[in-house]
Order: sequence, then C-alpha cells, then structure tokens
Amino acid sequence: MVQLVGSLRKELADSLSTCKVLVVGAGGIGCELLKNLVLTGFKNIEVIDLDTIDVSNLNRQFLFQKKHVGKSKAQVAKESALQFCPSASITAYHDSITNPDYNVEFFRKFMLVMNALDNRAARNHVNRMCLAADIPLIESGSAGYLGQVTVIKKGLTECYECQPKPAQKTFPGCTIRNTPSEPIHCIVWAKYLFNQLFGEEDADQEVSPDTADPEAAWNPEDTAARAAVSEKDGDIKRVSTKVWARSTGYDPIKLFNKLFKDDIMYLLTMDKLWKKRKAPTPLDWQQLEGNVSPNEEAPASGLKDQKVLDVWGYCQMFQDSVETLSSQLQEKGDDAELVWDKDDPPAMDFVTAAANLRMHVFSMNMKSRFDVKSMAGNIIPAIATTNAVIAGLIVLEGLKILSGEMETCRTVFLNKCPNLRKKLLVPCVLDPPSANCYVCVSKPEVTVKLNVQKTTVLSLQDRILKERFGMVAPDVQIEDGKGTILISSEEGETEANNNKFLSDFGIRNGSRLQSDDFLQDYTLLVNVLHTEELERDVEFEVIGEAPDKAPPPQSNQEEVNSITNGNKDSAQPSTSSKAEDDDLMIVDSDEEEVAASNSAAVATGTKRKYSETGESSAKRPRTDQSDAADDEDDIVALD
Amino acid sequence: MAATKDSKEQKYDRQLRLWGDHGQEALENAHVCLINATATGTEILKNLVLPGIGAFTIVDGHIVSGEDAGNNFFLSSDSIGKNRAQAATELLQELNSDVSGNFVEESPDKLLDNDPEFFHRFTIVIGVQLPESTCLRLGMVLWSASVPFLICKAYGLIGYMRLMVQEHTVIESHPDNALEDLRLDRPFDEFKSHIKSYNLSIMDKKDHSHTPWVIIVAKYLERWLSEHDGQPPKNYKEKEAFRQIIREGILKNENGGLEDEENFEEAIKNVNTALNPTKVPTSVEDLFNSEQCNNITAQSSSFWVMLRAVKEFVYNEGSGSLPVRGSIPDMIADSQKFINLQNVYREKAMQDAAAVSKHVESLLQSVGKPPESISEKDIKLFCKNSSFLRVVRCRSLAEEYSVDSINKDEISGLDCCCFRFFSYLI
Repeated sequence: MVQLVGSLRKELADSLSTCKVLVVGAGGIGCELLKNLVLTGFKNIEVIDLDTIDVSNLNRQFLFQKKHVGKSKAQVAKESALQFCPSASITAYHDSITNPDYNVEFFRKFMLVMNALDNRAARNHVNRMCLAADIPLIESGSAGYLGQVTVIKKGLTECYECQPKPAQKTFPGCTIRNTPSEPIHCIVWAKYLFNQLFGEEDADQEVSPDTADPEAAWNPEDTAARAAVSEKDGDIKRVSTKVWARSTGYDPIKLFNKLFKDDIMYLLTMDKLWKKRKAPTPLDWQQLEGNVSPNEEAPASGLKDQKVLDVWGYCQMFQDSVETLSSQLQEKGDDAELVWDKDDPPAMDFVTAAANLRMHVFSMNMKSRFDVKSMAGNIIPAIATTNAVIAGLIVLEGLKILSGEMETCRTVFLNKCPNLRKKLLVPCVLDPPSANCYVCVSKPEVTVKLNVQKTTVLSLQDRILKERFGMVAPDVQIEDGKGTILISSEEGETEANNNKFLSDFGIRNGSRLQSDDFLQDYTLLVNVLHTEELERDVEFEVIGEAPDKAPPPQSNQEEVNSITNGNKDSAQPSTSSKAEDDDLMIVDSDEEEVAASNSAAVATGTKRKYSETGESSAKRPRTDQSDAADDEDDIVALD
Repeated sequence: MAATKDSKEQKYDRQLRLWGDHGQEALENAHVCLINATATGTEILKNLVLPGIGAFTIVDGHIVSGEDAGNNFFLSSDSIGKNRAQAATELLQELNSDVSGNFVEESPDKLLDNDPEFFHRFTIVIGVQLPESTCLRLGMVLWSASVPFLICKAYGLIGYMRLMVQEHTVIESHPDNALEDLRLDRPFDEFKSHIKSYNLSIMDKKDHSHTPWVIIVAKYLERWLSEHDGQPPKNYKEKEAFRQIIREGILKNENGGLEDEENFEEAIKNVNTALNPTKVPTSVEDLFNSEQCNNITAQSSSFWVMLRAVKEFVYNEGSGSLPVRGSIPDMIADSQKFINLQNVYREKAMQDAAAVSKHVESLLQSVGKPPESISEKDIKLFCKNSSFLRVVRCRSLAEEYSVDSINKDEISGLDCCCFRFFSYLI
C-alpha cells in the first residue's frame, strides 16, 4: 500500500523536505516556481537573481508590489514567499550566477537546479556548471502564450548547447553609421548614440560618419577637400562625442544640428554611397521650428505610445529627453555614466526621438514609441498564466527526477492553441547527448575560420570565446610545444597582448589553441583555419555548424497516455503515437537577445503549411526556426 | 488621469504587446466571479488580477481550514477560521490596486435559491470543485443569461476544465500570421490607376530601386496576364518563371552585372504570398450562412448586424470580396512612394467601410433601432478584421448530461471549447 502525503508518495514527500534546490532567476517564471516549490513541500531553497524590480514586472511577478520597485528581486521574492509559507528556509543572493563564488562546489550542494532565466549567456553558463557538477538541471522559457520545459542530465540527455541556436543578428558598422536602410539600423544607431553621449563609450559603437567605408572608396587626396566642406566635423573628430557634447553643455539644439544636419551633410559628400541609394536629407532645427503649424494636438484616442508623431514632435521629444538625461548625468557627478534601460522613460524617449529623426532623414517611415521599444529592447511579451503553467511543469519534472525516474522525464511544449490532436501541452522524449556538441562531449573541439593577420587577441577572447562559445573567464594556451600563454584570466597578466594579432604569436593555419574556463571546469580546443576570404564585417566563422549539418533524427513525441501508465480513462482521443513535428519549438524567453520570439516561433508552424516548395518541411523545426527569424525584420539582437 | 494612464501603460507593457489595447480594455471592463477560493481557484484569479481585470467577486461559504492554509498560497495560517471568500479577497487584492475585489460569504446553492439573478452581472463565472448538482443548476441559470461558465476540478495531479458559453463572438482574433490583403489578383480601380502612374522602364536608378515591391509585382503581373490569357501563375513552375521575369527587371550596372535592388529582391521573395487569390475565408463564409446572420432581429447583437452588413457588401459592392483591410506591410521604398501606396489602400478601406456602414444603417432601421447604436469606429474595426472573425459555441451542460446525447467521440471532437485541458500523472 502506497502511503500518501498530500498527493505525493511518502518517500518522495520526505525527500522534498530534506533536499536542497537552486532556483536561478526570480523573474516571471522564478516567482511562480518559488510559490510552487514551497507549496509542494520543498524546504531548502536557494534563489539567485542580479536584477532589481521594475514597474513592468508587476503584471506577472506576483511576489513583487509597487513599493518594491528598485529592490533586489531575489531578496523580495524570498521575503514575500516566506510571508505565505514561514516554515520554508530560503536563501537569497542578489548576484550574478556567473560570479566565481558560485563554483562547481557550490552547485554540488544541490539535488536539483532549476533555471528561470531570460538570457542565453546565463543559460549556457548554468548548463556548463551543472554538467561539471553532474547535477540535473531543469531548463525553461516562455514567450507570450508559448513556453517550454526540458530536463538536462549529463550523459543522458542533450545539454542546453547540443543544438546550435540561431545566431544573433548584428549589423555592419557602416550600415549603422553611413547607410541605414531599415528602421532597426536607426534604432541601433540611437542606442549607440545614447551610450556615446551619456553612457559608457565603446569604440565599437561609433555613430559619426565612417570615412573608412569600403564602399565610399575615397581617394586620399579628396580627404582634404572634404575636411574643408565640413570643418565643424573635423573639429569634433579630435575629441570624443561625449567630451564635445559636454563642452556644449548638452545643448539639445547644438546636438541636433550636429547629428541630423552637419553629419548628414558630411555623409552627402561621400557621393559614391548615394549613386544607387536615395540620399539622406539633412534637418535643420531653426527651419523646423519656423514651420510648426499651430493646429496640432489631435485629441488622444488609443494609447499615446502607439502614436507616430510628426518630425517636430520628435524634435521636441529629443530636446526634452536630452535635457532630462543631461541633468540626471550632472546630478550623478563627474565621470558618471547612465545605463540605457528600455523601461526608463527618458532613455526610451531619447532613443525613440533620435531613431525616428534618423529614419526621417533617410526617408523611412517613422515608428511609434511602442514599436521602437519592442525593437530596441527586444521585448518578449509575457503574462502570468504562461509562466504559471511552465513553473508547474518544472515542479512535475523535478518530482520525477527526485523519485529517481529520470527515464520518464520529458521536454514539454506549451502551445498557443490546441494542436491537431487537441493538445495544448505536448510532451516529447528527451534526446541523448549530441556527439557533435562542443560542450558536453568528453573532449570538446571546434574549428574556427578566421584571418590570423586581422584577428586580435582581444576579439578572440571577447567575440569568439566569450560571446560565441559562452566562456566567462577563458585562459588560452597555444599548443606550440612551448605552451605559450596567450590569454590569462588573471588580471594584469596578458592585457599587453590584447591589441596584437594572432599571427604575432605564430598562430597560423592549423594552429591549436587550448582554452580553459576554470570556473566552468570546461576546456575547449580551438583549431584555427586561416582564411582571407571572409565576407565584409564577418570576423570569423565556426565550421560544421547548422544549417549545413545533417539534421539529427526526429524526437518522438508520445501520447500523454503512455506517461499515465496506460490510464485510458483520461478521455484522450485515441490517435497514433507517432506525432507530427509541427508542435515542436524551442522558445527562449530572452529580453537580451534574439532567440525565438513569439511571432517567429508561431510563424514557423503555419509557414510550413502553405509552403508549396517544401523547402523547409524536411528540416527539423529548431533549425527551421532560425530561418523564420531571419525572415522577420523585427527580430534582431542588439546587445 | 494622464499620469495613471502612463503608469498603467508601463505596468502592463509586456502584455499589451500580446493582446493590444482593445484586449486590455476588455479585461479592464470584466467582472469575474470565482466560486470557491480553493488553491486552484485563487491561482486562476491571481492570473486574472495581475493583468488587471476590472473587478472580481469571490463566492464561498467555507471557513478556512488548516489544509486550505497549507496548499493555498493566498491563505495563511492567520486566516484559519475566517471565511474563505474574505480571507482570499484580502490577499488577492494586494496583487493589484487597480482591481476592485469583493466577496460574498455564502454558498452558491444558497444564492441560487434566493437570488439566481445575482450571477447575471458577471462577465464570466468560474466554478471550482462544485458538486455536479450545483454545476447543473448554475449552468442552467448562466446559459439562459448568456454568461460564460467555466468549471474546474483538480484532484492531486489530475485536473479538468470545461467551458460553457452559448456564443462568444470575436472581432479581433489576433491571427499569428495573417496574409496581407493586397488585392494583386483583383486590383480595384484606384489601385489600377496608381499602378499606371509608375513606369519602371523610364525611371532613374534611384526611383527604380525605391519603388515598392507591391507595384513591381503588380506591373509584372499585368504583363504576365496579357501573355497568358489572363491566367496568373499558379503552380510552382509558373511562379518560378514569374520570379525570373521580375529578376530580369533588375537594372544592370556598367559592367553588365545586376544592380543591388533590394526592392526587387523583396518582390521576388513575396511572389508566393502576393499571388494568393483574394477570397472570403470558409470560416467567414460559414458565419454568413448561419441563422444569426440571416435572421437579424432587434435582439441581434451588433456583431451579427455588422456581419450581415459585410455579407451584403460582399454580394453587392464588394463583388465577392470582403472590405479592403487598408494596411500594407513595411517595405523598401522611399517615404513618399510608400505613403502614396498606403493611401490608396487606406482610402479604399474607408470607402468600403462606408458602404458597409450604409448596410448597417438600413439593417438597424429595418428592426427599428437608431442608426447610431453602432458606431463608425466599430464598423471600421469590424471591416478591418472581417477575414479573421470567430464565433465560439459550446454545448450546454444540461445537454451533455442528458442521456440521449452521450457520445464520447463527439465530445472530444468538438472544436475549441470542449477540449480536455490536460491530465498529467507522474
């Protein structure tokens, strides 16, 4: 006779009350998960989140209230959960999970780790930590009405990085600086501009005209002549944008005329660019001001944010936001920096105004603040209901793991509408680890195509090892028989190498670099393939990545019936157990990156239905999705 | 007032991107009744209070027990012994100050005995863990008052949910990937003359590469039709040939290579969807044929009056097509050309809506209602969404329970509302 405690077997209930679990993230899914965990009987819970509470969280993160805005999510979540359930023991960390304090030893304390994250970098990191510590991980995500839960266990299942994810979309510098052709280019420009003026200056985020644009192909002798055309610009070049802006006292009109008049006139002198393109039209503040018609202010209907203003409206928004931001900067004192945040009204106003003015200059249709925010912030819609369903599924998978029934674990997709077999929740069998994974195989190895004469050590570290391969603090050694240390994670040891090229260290075609991440307990062998034929603005390519890789075998979806021990009373329509793969999708709720947005994921399904040519139907939906994302203009990664 | 609107926009930002401001408005006008504040009940209400329904009322005659406090996040041990409706209202109210929370400390059966009309005021009634007899009684009351009724049950790890609603009409169904309504296969007169105003062969390079793809496809389609007895490209092969013709229209540079004309690329990419024939979707056709559409009375809701008017339009002015939607997708083009094109569609949409409006007017007149009982704004919205209209209908609980209609296969085969939510055992 099975003894029950609530709806659980007694042994399971006992193990819940003694085991320690980690929740990574106290946001939308995290809040719901904490509630479910304490109600299910988990007693020892640790929760970590580096974020603070924002007003836009309150529509779903129910452990937070208006009075908590600005406070630590982890801390408030803990306090609120304890209020409801005082008997639990919850430890909160207001910190980043990538902090070295949370090493493999830390992870080994737990029976189970549950991710409730919103970005890929942290997911990659926790994936590696759990592989290194050999602790089961439950991964989850939600986007609008869609969601997904999956289980990751070293050696048994695919890890988070077994399937290549769609690459983040980036834009060539000269498109942003010289020849924007889509609104998103102007939005990226405006975000860069924010950082140049008020935030942390970044050489990769220049906003002024790019004189080195290969397409402009200037003769050096012309340069002098051009300098004369726009001597103002010549002046500005010598100091940084920020220093110049400060010297004008952040005068909005001076800034305006530099950005939307002088710089544009300078661009016009690069006449080769405008042979095939429509040339931009400079704006002039004084002129616009003179043309204002007095009969504006149409009665407001609908939401203010969703209105597209006229040019003068954005001029005023620009002026107001520059004034607000510069006084904020002043209050913070010398050398202060503002951080762009899509939910900070003046910062969002500034980007809306600057992006729209640039769109207007380049003959594009302007966009409402609401739309600009979507694109600038990569906003993924989110509601409590979806997160609640996902958090519930996480606990169910967790109970299976704790009962030692790993083989019954599933990856579960939450659909927007019931599928053809009337299921909203679709469980799929977990795939075994991929033999080609560069993370969870025993000796991970990759081949990277790059130009050793043009790739610096710094970009190897930042762009390739950190950004592309998800390392946090890599150490790199050249396998040249001498063990030359190229990059050390210890501060001050190898910074001198940063701006040197790989070829300066004898790295050439066929060289092998051993990169270690001590924290992640992860070693990756990088084979260098030298090439001089990379496309414009492409720094490197990883060989053997999807989509040229053959798709792995399809996952088998199975009927819920088979999980319910043949309980045929559940009134499930009896259908074949082989399912269509239409229901499969990977949903990554990522505010920081492209991932699969709601619309892209859904678009995949129907797109295939009316795709006559059948190009996409043979492909596995996951890779398919990256195609869909490419087609969507609105889905882009900015960070 | 403006300030509260702003802060609401901020608070609800992430969901406004899902259901839009009309969805939010519908939510804010809703008054939800929950019967029994069990763990399942409060969980449902939590997910409605957070996004901001207008009001909720909890009906519950139970006293909070120890078990309640243990499994319900919105009841604490302090509330043991108190009325459950009141205790849960207090804690749920804290989630969102924009929501008005009410409670009635009485069992639904008592209310049904004394004041069955009490339930008529709600937008929806959610009944949790109700005995079958109460479900049937309440179901009858709500069915006749056309108030949707949602029944939920949960036992351990198994759950059940069933929605009952006579009829639920949806104007804005937010389709995920609606095809654009461009009418390339049946251009209206104003669009035809707009196409004529372009002459691709005499344009300079700049204009050529900034002509909207819709115009490009329309131009080449005209040529194709004249060469193919008026038949558009239909199969893959023909469409490929059509794409090739467009491709040949791309300007050549000095060296004979192709210029980089993104608008042409866009045109080629869009051939498939652009050539989709314009027709009334079968789902809308079905609605046209329904009893409610064909028999307009003074009791008909504005949805059905407008639907009938659209039907009249389709069979008259529309010559077989729904009103033009009036929106066009973003495309590569200079502002002026884009705006001109957009205006062509926009104006046609306004004309069509005005024609529909005339039909609405005479329909209302025929049943003795004032013409202003349906606003121009609503008619425009209806026309814009006329391809996506949806009506959800369910069987009543009484019918389901009556002996002669027991048919399990049919129950599971019914659309949209009668699906079993899910059952899950570990």
